[in-house]
Amino acid sequence: MPPDNGGYMIAAYVVTAVILVGYALAMWRRARRAVGSD
Amino acid sequence: MTLPVAARSIVSRGLATSAVALAGLAAVYVLALGFTPVEARQGLAQKIFYLHVPAAWSALLAFSLVGIASALYLWLLDPRLDRFAAASAEVGVAFSAVMLTTGPIWAKPIWGTWWTWDARLTLTLFLFFLFVGYLALRAAVQDPAERARFSAVVGILGMLLVPFVHLSVYLFRTLHPTPVVLKPSAPSLPPEMLRTLLISTLVFTVLYIGLVTVRYGIALAEEAREAPDAA
Repeated sequence: MPPDNGGYMIAAYVVTAVILVGYALAMWRRARRAVGSD
Repeated sequence: MTLPVAARSIVSRGLATSAVALAGLAAVYVLALGFTPVEARQGLAQKIFYLHVPAAWSALLAFSLVGIASALYLWLLDPRLDRFAAASAEVGVAFSAVMLTTGPIWAKPIWGTWWTWDARLTLTLFLFFLFVGYLALRAAVQDPAERARFSAVVGILGMLLVPFVHLSVYLFRTLHPTPVVLKPSAPSLPPEMLRTLLISTLVFTVLYIGLVTVRYGIALAEEAREAPDAA
């Protein structure tokens, strides 16, 4: 019977999504500012 | 003022690649959580491995490429190499943040502690701070030529640390598991788990390429804006 530690898995998947999607969105906003106000 | 068409085109390509990679990341979540077996001893926490290992791979790839681009910059003095090194360092720090947060979240249920000061973890944390310092250095130095030269030296020093991070599990007594794929013998994973790991690694690599491309395009656009003022 595997140990019951699914909460840690969910935490890791949420943290990864927050970091990567957050960084990608920040990059998108920076790109709009750098290129968009021409 | 007209921005170079190149900057706009590079940013667009980078954003499109990043969007595809983020969609791929969503697919990796579905694959890892829904279609990959649960490991018997570690339970669901083992699935953290499908994010932690690709993040580590992408971070070490990013920092290695910073070092190579930096060395080439010192040789050729081509500003494109400096621009690429800066982009790769920033994206590498983001992937390191994933590696350094998912690692302890896995370690707590498996090792019984969030963190231990063994060689692999300590060297990885040091590498992270070194590249945070690299970005701080770039922000602090105003002269572009000086900034590129100073940061290239730090970038090369950071790259020299990468092999020690990878080999630290063999060189020192450490709690951290040894590699399961990047090792001399065949991968020691069941095929379903190996498939998910490889797909996730591919997605993280594409995301790295996309984000570095956007960051490179932003730097190019910013330089084009600043150039008339500097002249």
